[in-house]
Amino acid sequence: MAKTIFLVDDSATILLSVSNILRKAGFAVEKAANAEEAMKKFSASVKVDLLITDLNMPGMNGIELIKKVRNLPLYRFLPILFLTTESQQSRKVEAKAAGASGWIVKPATADDLLHTIKLVIK
Amino acid sequence: MDEELTSLFVNECRDQLLAMEDGLLCLEQDPENADSIGAIFRAAHTIKGGAGVVECQFMERFTHKVENVLDKLRNGELPVSGELCTLILECCDHLGALLEVFANGLPQPAPEVQARGDVLLNRLTERFLLDAPTAASEVHLPVEHADEVETSGGGIVNTDAWHISIRFGTEVLKYGMDPLSFLHYLCSLGEITAIETITDGMPPAGLMDPECCYLGFEIHFQTRASKAQIEQVFEFVRDDCTLHILPPNSKIDEYLKLIDQLPEDSMRLGEILVRAGALTQSELDDGLRAQCRARQSADDSPSIGRVLVEQNVVHQVVVEAAASRQAAVGEKKTVEARMIRVHADKLDHLIDLVGEMVISGAGANLLAQRSGQSELLESTSVLLRLVEDIRDAALQLRMVQIGETFNRFNRVVRDASLEMGKSIELVITGAETELDKSVVEKLGDPLMHLVRNAIDHGIEAAEVRMARGKSPTGTLRLNACHDSGSVVIEVIDDGGGLPKEKIRQKAIDKGLIDAGATLSDNELVNLIFEAGFSTAEQVTNISGRGVGMDVVRRNIQSLRGSINVDNTEGQGATFTIRLPLTLAIIDGFLTGVGRAAYVVPLESVVECIELSEVGEKRNYLNLRGEVLPFLRLREVFAIGGELPARQNVVIVQFAGQKAGLVVDTLLGEFQTVIKPLGTLFKHLRGVGGATILGSGEVALILDVPALVKRVSSLETLSHRKLSPATH
Repeated sequence: MAKTIFLVDDSATILLSVSNILRKAGFAVEKAANAEEAMKKFSASVKVDLLITDLNMPGMNGIELIKKVRNLPLYRFLPILFLTTESQQSRKVEAKAAGASGWIVKPATADDLLHTIKLVIK
Repeated sequence: MDEELTSLFVNECRDQLLAMEDGLLCLEQDPENADSIGAIFRAAHTIKGGAGVVECQFMERFTHKVENVLDKLRNGELPVSGELCTLILECCDHLGALLEVFANGLPQPAPEVQARGDVLLNRLTERFLLDAPTAASEVHLPVEHADEVETSGGGIVNTDAWHISIRFGTEVLKYGMDPLSFLHYLCSLGEITAIETITDGMPPAGLMDPECCYLGFEIHFQTRASKAQIEQVFEFVRDDCTLHILPPNSKIDEYLKLIDQLPEDSMRLGEILVRAGALTQSELDDGLRAQCRARQSADDSPSIGRVLVEQNVVHQVVVEAAASRQAAVGEKKTVEARMIRVHADKLDHLIDLVGEMVISGAGANLLAQRSGQSELLESTSVLLRLVEDIRDAALQLRMVQIGETFNRFNRVVRDASLEMGKSIELVITGAETELDKSVVEKLGDPLMHLVRNAIDHGIEAAEVRMARGKSPTGTLRLNACHDSGSVVIEVIDDGGGLPKEKIRQKAIDKGLIDAGATLSDNELVNLIFEAGFSTAEQVTNISGRGVGMDVVRRNIQSLRGSINVDNTEGQGATFTIRLPLTLAIIDGFLTGVGRAAYVVPLESVVECIELSEVGEKRNYLNLRGEVLPFLRLREVFAIGGELPARQNVVIVQFAGQKAGLVVDTLLGEFQTVIKPLGTLFKHLRGVGGATILGSGEVALILDVPALVKRVSSLETLSHRKLSPATH
């Protein structure tokens, strides 16, 4: 069965382009435009194999989202990647502390993205 | 490039630029507002990210610089200043220009646009970035740690494979990582020729936490990948685990050092390395014999493990408490931001279908009525009511709040008042009032004109205001509200108002009214909407670009709306725009010509009269002493057939001009679902669309402005023909 990747980003451009890449690679994709919406789906125990989230979002930010998801019993061991840029080292540490598994540095090519994903899900 | 993605990016970018502008204007008012700074930064960040995705390098480069400045602002390294806001606002404008370049599919901006961007970037750099840390210092951690391991002495271990030694942190599973997935991934880089699982860290079963990882691996790995690539595999866990990577043909000392560094018993480790194929037994023996120092460092540390667990427990409690507190806040936010972005085409399609449903519902009702079955009638009437509800709900979907359009004027007012040296405050009310999206889109220009006029001509300079006993700061209000099925938008200023005498004089000069005409104040000021009227003595940059108020009125009328002005000289003026709620369904007036049906938009109908004893050739009639030109629809649309005994004239009005439309029968008011005509009929004059009647027949909707224009042009034509004959 196809693995499901849950994508959270407030940029519709990123959502569309990344989900296109993921779908092409054979993943099922769930999307949310903000952390609140994402939390709602998580609260409804959606089936997810990997969460990829942006850190900078209006409302609840990505770090809070990671913390919350990590605290849900069902997702204690869920691989979580966050999108970041080179200039955000401090946020990387923060996100890791919040329970993220790893990160994807933007801008990423489709290959970078898929490689990183392969790293965290079998 | 994916077209859908491109258009998505362009739309999103426009939104983000607006958000940026809003944030900057807020920040100017309230420099302490961290939320504004956050919002501005996020907007810039999203634009940059999107530009990267759609490979629009010129935008990405430009935004990157802007983002750098914003980042410093966010970190408090830069103070908020008027200069900074103005400069960033200019950058927003430039980004808008770049976006247009991209949207038009050009590979590069024009040289002058490029030059303008460079100037902005230079200013940004000079003023705000010069002592910034260079990007280089933030770049990736150096990957090469190899030097540290390099020790001299000892022979070279004879193997062509890498040796990877890893002990995962106990928390690794809790961060969503499975050690196995790293091994899987490693396989994609090369071949694991031997692997030993190290279970020494495993506590007795009673003490074991099933959610912790106690494993380590010694891996013999054959690959062409570089050390950096191998390290990258473990990048996410590097901080929490012990990782040693020995390249092929490493010196025996390095293996020994590795054994020293690892927590497990060194003899056992040696055996493991031999088993893993990293070393041969003799290499190990030689090495160990050569290096017989005492090892004190091998103290095992179960206590640390316990501390870790304890720490973990504490951590867990704290996090949970914090999370539950956040949950309350989070839920509130969810209510605010529950939005779905839908492609406008989908909505249009839905409205189309609903229109079809209205029509076929009416058809079914007709049949039911004919059948006379009361049960059927009852069920269709329920159905009809539901259809109406659905129609209203569907139309509601196209409604957007006018706030966004209003907010744009914050910037306009700010810039214009700076330029004019006037102090003006913009007050927005009723921003949540909703109206049809297509109306909102077309409302921008007329509103812009009115706002600029108010700033330019309406609100006086501060000295004049003081002299008149007003506050030196002028107030401009934008207000929107619903009023009996239509939307009312007001532009109100507390300036000097419209000068009645000047208007009267100008109107006389332009021949719009007679010198002796008596007009009410209201009629007088509304003359400004007549073509060719402009009272500004001096053309300024803000308004008066040769576009008069008549254009504003025409724009509003094309939206089937109306505009008028209320004026109190010395106190200010109020422009009131009245618009229909939607453009998709209108109130129509149904008429019949021969066997065809035509719909005249009800609001343009003035009255209906019977056509009496008019000669075949004449195309005007006497309407209470006024000459009323008319068109025979039978002729216009070339409909044959017998003339009925009685014909009727529907008198319509557009832009102050009346005309008659001669039809056979008047069929009354009709809820009209507007269907656009296909491209084939684009060139048709006089027809604005089509609709479908309950009977399933098609009726054309008349384009009243075009017909009125046609009547007036016919008139002048016949005048010219007639003139020589009459003299």
